[in-house]
Amino acid sequence: MPEFPSHFHFHRLLSGLALASSVTWAADVPPQIEQSCIECHDKETTKGGLDLTALLFDLKDRSIRERWVRIHDRVEKGEMPPKAGDMAAENRLALVKKLDAALYDADRAEVLAHGRGPLRRLNRDEYEQNLRDVLQLPDLDIRDILPEDREGHRFNKTNEMLDMSRVQLTAYLDAAEAALRAAMVTEPAPPPVMKVRVVGTDLFPGTGTFGNRESMFFARGDKFIDWGKLDKDAVRQGATDDSIEMALFRSASWPYIGNPKGILARHSGHYRVRFSARAVLQQADYVLTPAKQPVPMTFRTRKPAGADIINEVRAEGGIIDIQPQQQVYETTVRLKVGEAIEYSLLGLPMPLAQNPNGSGPTYRYPPFPEGGQPGVAVQWLEIEGPIPPSTWPPASHRVLFDDLGIEVKPKSAAEDAKRLLRRFVSLAAREPVSEDDLRLFDALIAERLEKGSSFKEAMLAGYKAFLASGDFIYLREPESADDHFAIASRLSHFLTNSRPDARLSELAAKKRLRDAQTLREEAQRLIDDGGFDRFVKNFTDCWLSLRHIRRDDPDIRLFPEYRFDEYLVESMERETRAFFTAMIRENLPANVLVKADFVFANDRLARHFQLPPMTGSAMRKVTLPEGSPFGGLLTQPAILKVSANGANTSPVVRGAWVMERLIGQPPPPPPSSVPAVEPDIRGAKTIRDLMALHTKEKSCAGCHAKFDPVGLALESFDILGGWRMRYRGIEEGERISGIDRAGHDFSYTLAGTVDPSGKLIDGREFQGVNDLKTLLAANPRQLARNLLHQFTIYATGTPVRFSDRREIESMLDACAKDGYRVRDLMLALVESNIFTGRHP
Amino acid sequence: MNTPHIARTFPRRQFLRGAGVLLGLPFFEQSLARGATPAAPRRMLIISNNLGFLPKPFFPKTAGRDYELTPTLQPLKDVRGEFSIFSGMSHPDVNGGHSAENCFLTAARGPTKSGFRNQISLDQFAVEKLGQLTRFPTLNLGVNIDKANRSLSWTRDGVLLPAEDSAPALFRRMFLQGDPAAVKRQLHALEERGSILDTLMDHTKKLSRGLGSDDRSRLDQYLTSVREVEERLVTAREWELKPKPAASRPEPADIQDKKLIFEKLDLMLAMSQLAFESDSTRIITLMVDAFATPAFKLHDEENTTEGYHGLSHHGQAPDKVKQLEEADRQQMVLLRKLIQNLAAKREDGARLLDRTMVMFGSNMGDANKHDNTNLPVILAGGGFKHGQHHAFKADNNKPLCNLFVSMLQHLGVETDAFGSSTGQIEL
Repeated sequence: MPEFPSHFHFHRLLSGLALASSVTWAADVPPQIEQSCIECHDKETTKGGLDLTALLFDLKDRSIRERWVRIHDRVEKGEMPPKAGDMAAENRLALVKKLDAALYDADRAEVLAHGRGPLRRLNRDEYEQNLRDVLQLPDLDIRDILPEDREGHRFNKTNEMLDMSRVQLTAYLDAAEAALRAAMVTEPAPPPVMKVRVVGTDLFPGTGTFGNRESMFFARGDKFIDWGKLDKDAVRQGATDDSIEMALFRSASWPYIGNPKGILARHSGHYRVRFSARAVLQQADYVLTPAKQPVPMTFRTRKPAGADIINEVRAEGGIIDIQPQQQVYETTVRLKVGEAIEYSLLGLPMPLAQNPNGSGPTYRYPPFPEGGQPGVAVQWLEIEGPIPPSTWPPASHRVLFDDLGIEVKPKSAAEDAKRLLRRFVSLAAREPVSEDDLRLFDALIAERLEKGSSFKEAMLAGYKAFLASGDFIYLREPESADDHFAIASRLSHFLTNSRPDARLSELAAKKRLRDAQTLREEAQRLIDDGGFDRFVKNFTDCWLSLRHIRRDDPDIRLFPEYRFDEYLVESMERETRAFFTAMIRENLPANVLVKADFVFANDRLARHFQLPPMTGSAMRKVTLPEGSPFGGLLTQPAILKVSANGANTSPVVRGAWVMERLIGQPPPPPPSSVPAVEPDIRGAKTIRDLMALHTKEKSCAGCHAKFDPVGLALESFDILGGWRMRYRGIEEGERISGIDRAGHDFSYTLAGTVDPSGKLIDGREFQGVNDLKTLLAANPRQLARNLLHQFTIYATGTPVRFSDRREIESMLDACAKDGYRVRDLMLALVESNIFTGRHP
Repeated sequence: MNTPHIARTFPRRQFLRGAGVLLGLPFFEQSLARGATPAAPRRMLIISNNLGFLPKPFFPKTAGRDYELTPTLQPLKDVRGEFSIFSGMSHPDVNGGHSAENCFLTAARGPTKSGFRNQISLDQFAVEKLGQLTRFPTLNLGVNIDKANRSLSWTRDGVLLPAEDSAPALFRRMFLQGDPAAVKRQLHALEERGSILDTLMDHTKKLSRGLGSDDRSRLDQYLTSVREVEERLVTAREWELKPKPAASRPEPADIQDKKLIFEKLDLMLAMSQLAFESDSTRIITLMVDAFATPAFKLHDEENTTEGYHGLSHHGQAPDKVKQLEEADRQQMVLLRKLIQNLAAKREDGARLLDRTMVMFGSNMGDANKHDNTNLPVILAGGGFKHGQHHAFKADNNKPLCNLFVSMLQHLGVETDAFGSSTGQIEL
């Protein structure tokens, strides 16, 4: 090996960094660095902010090691040196091999010495779910007592971001207190059950509502009832008249009040709602005819507060498709004290109120569709609740106080305290707690009793302390020894965002979770379990930013068709979650991330995708016609919405978004030492012009060429993922005018044509999004690798380390023959050493 | 740790009405003894808009007293003598565009580097040195803030302290007085919490035996937290015994709509003034999270054409620049209002403004190009001689921490260094 040249030492001395005498420079730094890299990356030139002469080869230091990992990666990909001629292929190979070996050894040594990652505290969703499961309170709400958790690598499960502070600890104590109080009862019997049946004019608060007769009327024999011609008593008498129907024809957006009379929850809990209804069409002169399609509706709960929505509003009871044939529907809603239920019809228009100079309001609708305006007619409604628990005191109370009843009167305070504590801890802890530790909590309870607390309060203090203790709050990396409990917790928090269930805990106690077959079966079981929805929700909330899907309202000047279309946004969100669930449960190949011949759709999305009409709100798998640009996460409306803002799309933003999240090749941050280029887009007209200016600077172009092209192909989709051939504007172009779905005039223009063609950085060209999909789908291994990386951070709290890479590649090898199916990838991770903490 | 103490007496009548009956004499004596000759309170409010201001219309061209007010500063014309403007300041090695936003009051170097940990922020540093003088040692507020990921306030361990973004919630914390039974319950709860924390401390010490260094440092964070909550219980108890001050206005209605960013800022500034007037706290930080702000209301009926972040990358497009100029000016209008309100309020015969330093600045020098040098900084009040433009070199910035050191000293903190300071700024 050649000696490291002397000027290297010289520079290092000058830079004042040559401190670590233990670092053996000459021996360790691969010689190719000196031959091919120093020219651009020395103290004088420092291209890209990198001065290799000042970068020690001290791979034990984590931050230095990570810089060398970046160097390794860029050399391996052939990005550095930028010209192929600057480094012969065999030199490149030799350099990569040498760096790989050195980095692997250094990282591996650290994993062996300190573990793959540190303890991680539960985030607030996990803490809440743990307590819901422990206390058997599925509706417990304590999440908002805890501060929002910081995100790392997009996820709220990243070790290094889940810090502890006095604020956090206080919040855990407050949350534990609130949860325990919610679990306990003091009343001798469950709250009385209310049972109310309403018919006729009691089905609605008044005889009309915002939007006049077009939005709501009472009917008898399919004809509008004109209350104006009847006396006031008629309305009152109508409250017992079951020949009267209540018909509704508008979306539930502000201002809107439409709750059945006389229903107000005096106690929080679940209420059973039964009602009879049919889908109808409103004809001229307010005549009802049977509908041709079902109309989706749900209920909303809130405290009645007039027209203003100032209280919490929740959608409850799920979406129900009301069919044209009259029938009885049943659902369950959750009500808090003082709340009522409102009808909430989905996907219908809403009227514009006009009251110039304070005159009485008049309303304006878009022209009703041919054949009549869809709506729902209700004949009667019953509500019953709160549905009492199967036992009293409820299960949650018995978790705390076993058989001591509502009074919680111990036979012997000292003995019962010890017994109850051990019982509670065995239910709450995720692994056995030593007698030594239990005695600390015994002592606390005894101290509280001595200080005059009641038995109940003293027990709660002990429980609170346990629920805020390190044992409960932290998840541990499985140790290489027999650590079945840590594996169980890791698996359950990965796939259900909560503690291990009874079966998993039992297998951990029997030390069965090192058995690959058992572990695989358990993972499969949890994937098929109901708790898996929590994985899908939280994972897609973070990975795909689905929780921000309502961040930007569509700019209604440009996109009037999306005004107040909450049903569309909700359907988009459900589509992506349904698709992702199917990717795993149906074990689809990884390239469905970018390309698929099917979508999940309902009545609203079928229109959005320009498919043949569908009926009903439920998401169904639909095969796409040949040549459809939809299919795959890449072109799902939810993805295209969160990667745009409400007014326009940016190929730069969308391109970077897709490369990072879906492809797993995030654009590097702009180097800080490069003199900042001030973007100047004056004079640019079309998006193409903007992009050309943007990438004219050489220092920008190098990176932008990696992600801009993908964004260009996605220009065929508007801000909500609707297909478009031309951009929209306000001034120039072909003018389109009309009345939108909320009664407003609109007027926008169709301007320049979308050009979705481009060229990937490797030179492959595409004419549009379908070409691009084919190109991206041709590299399923990278798509699968990205999924494995995302799953690894999510499941273990630590991103894929350099020394994990070999195992990741061998998982990919194993999954290659079946086209990298997504559940296979997940199961491979669960069985891996990365997940189980083995050190072979 | 400094012994916590209560520095200011509260109005005697209020004391007799509220707490006297409940508590008896010892506390009264104590407060008399301590509060006999209180030093004039010094206060500090630091506001940062994480996307900053357009530099060209912001910075004056000439230094010194006779600088010409720029378009952005124009709304401050009437209070010209009440503030100073600083240019050519920044935090050395705090770069990386948006990553710098969490370092505005910490000056922690290299926020984009791997393994980066933040450091203690100016407000927390001041409290460490001064002890808890008021019911709330500091208030950390936000407008439109992404509470999970952004804050101006950080612990010594570099842990984010979440901001309060609800004005009514803040108001209730400051002024809503529980009845005697509630106070008693609260005192009991505090006492119980003390016992629980003792148990947690013992338990964690046992837990940490035999752990690796990474795990141990995680548990150290936990132990520090237990210790800090415990320390604060002592003062929390003292403050629980003391009635809350009376509010000079009713509880405000909450504004949740992110579009109304300036209405929200206006309300939070009013709450800040209320906190100072009632001596609920003397140190406030307030982040205006422009980054998390979607298209927002500029005028009565007009919204911006896109979100704040999109606008900030204006690329000199005239329509975007125009909207930003307007947004910048509106914030200066709010600053003027605050300065005037603080000047109009008297405390022991002095203007509240003269006892309150108000800094309005940003981690961003030029958001269009993600530049974290040449930060915009305005300092008003505090009793300094104002009216100047302190211009430092644009190509060789002065550490902003030098100004922080001067502010700390003015607050009464005995220190000659903070963060990356190399000295102080003569004011």
